[in-house]
Amino acid sequence: MDNPLPNPSIDLKGRRILAVDDDRINLKIIGGILRHEGYEIAEAASGEQALEVYASFQPNLVLLDVMMPGIDGFTTCRTLKRTYGDKCAPVIFVTAKSEAEDVVMGFDAGGVDYLAKPFRPKEVVARIRTHLSNQQLVEQQKHLVDQLSKANAAKDRFLGMCAHDLRNPLSSIRGLAELMDENAIGTLTDEQREIVQTIHGASQSMLQLVNELLDVATIEAGHLKLAKEPTGVVEMLERSVHLANIEAAKKSMRIEMVRLANDPVVEVDRNKIRQVVDNLINNAVKYSPRGSVITVIVHASESHAGFAVRDNGPGIPESERHKLFKDYGRLSAQPTGGEKSTGLGLAICRKIVEAHNGTIAVENIPGRGAEFVVSLPIHR
Amino acid sequence: MNFSGSILLVDDEAHIRKFMSLLLRHLGVTRIFEAHNGATAIEVYKAERPDMVMLDVNMPQMDGLETLRALKTIDPDCVVVMLTSLANRQTIDQAVALGAANYIRKDAPPEDIGRALADTIDTCFESDEGDADGPAPTP
Repeated sequence: MDNPLPNPSIDLKGRRILAVDDDRINLKIIGGILRHEGYEIAEAASGEQALEVYASFQPNLVLLDVMMPGIDGFTTCRTLKRTYGDKCAPVIFVTAKSEAEDVVMGFDAGGVDYLAKPFRPKEVVARIRTHLSNQQLVEQQKHLVDQLSKANAAKDRFLGMCAHDLRNPLSSIRGLAELMDENAIGTLTDEQREIVQTIHGASQSMLQLVNELLDVATIEAGHLKLAKEPTGVVEMLERSVHLANIEAAKKSMRIEMVRLANDPVVEVDRNKIRQVVDNLINNAVKYSPRGSVITVIVHASESHAGFAVRDNGPGIPESERHKLFKDYGRLSAQPTGGEKSTGLGLAICRKIVEAHNGTIAVENIPGRGAEFVVSLPIHR
Repeated sequence: MNFSGSILLVDDEAHIRKFMSLLLRHLGVTRIFEAHNGATAIEVYKAERPDMVMLDVNMPQMDGLETLRALKTIDPDCVVVMLTSLANRQTIDQAVALGAANYIRKDAPPEDIGRALADTIDTCFESDEGDADGPAPTP
């Protein structure tokens, strides 16, 4: 972080207090007490003057007499609050009569506290210290939040840049390995082929990780732009189911789709939603035992429509449920065919579905596996 | 791939040129020229008149769009396929508006790249295959 944090131990010396009173003697007394405490003091003899001095002095706290000729303390306070809004320094009213009504009016006008005349120096000092400390803590907190959001944005930018610059070389490594495996530079020996396939596999998983990191960075930075169009749920699923069936066949599995009589229509960014569909179906293939059947079920209600992916995997242990849709939330279940997992897939799914104002949830089917349900608002 | 013409490959990154040229050779393209920046690409284009140009979008100094503009000034009929690393819709639209025939994502699997190239060749050289006989290649 570029700026050092303000000193966390609360040192209030040098804080600026604006004292406003039409009575010179009162100003002198209060000024004496406060200067002795190490504060910097500015004085004003009327509400009008207070507004002027406030602008140039930028106090951390205002002590404001209620009864003054010209505009009174309450009006002065309201004007200050209106002019400076959230940034306005706390105002403590000073009143000769500390009657309940006066006090209430003071709070209504935006005051944080009141002090009764004649002053008791210890009370004045204690109350002022409390309000200045509060104010300083609020400032520190704002500063911290500000620094953290800047650091977080910098992290996302860095992640995005990093992932972006890694993609090209990784694609080349993967592509060259694939071409060698296809005998593009001549026939390979068994050992050479094994090495080339290892290079291909490793660069392929790195590329996937980098792509997912880029997705997360894009989404986190608020740069996820959706190009939504009305799409039938079956239309949304078909291609992914078809492609996944080719992979699934390698594990003697198959994916079946259960349709409705009328295909419901939702409004989605087809590319982004395909990522969700692919991810859920691929997960089901990844974690289900060889030879099992995965079902993709279309569902619809009055307001929502979507699909469910039902697998035959180990289900989601209750103790791990909370990690499921979080970044890097890898669970204990292991892929059944040695596939890789980055722990980002479902987090990205959730972010994409939520960007569509939809929901994603998971249920365990006792003795069978898990069911992931995606619901999206119906298109009208 | 049914293509007897020559291709000029333009990318500032050597590994991309290596990958793409191996892929092109694997697909049966025998006459391949390479350039590592826009200025060289224009020189090579003027000297060799290749049938197709594969042009990187992101290059230092003279970028892909600028190079595309220059190539189109030299030869309004030149067939240019843009090479992108991320599908940046805006850049692609700009390239198409400037006369690019197609775009290919460099991070796509070789199979997909091959298919996109074949599509472009089918569209651009369908009726006048004779045009695809360019000058003699440099090995």
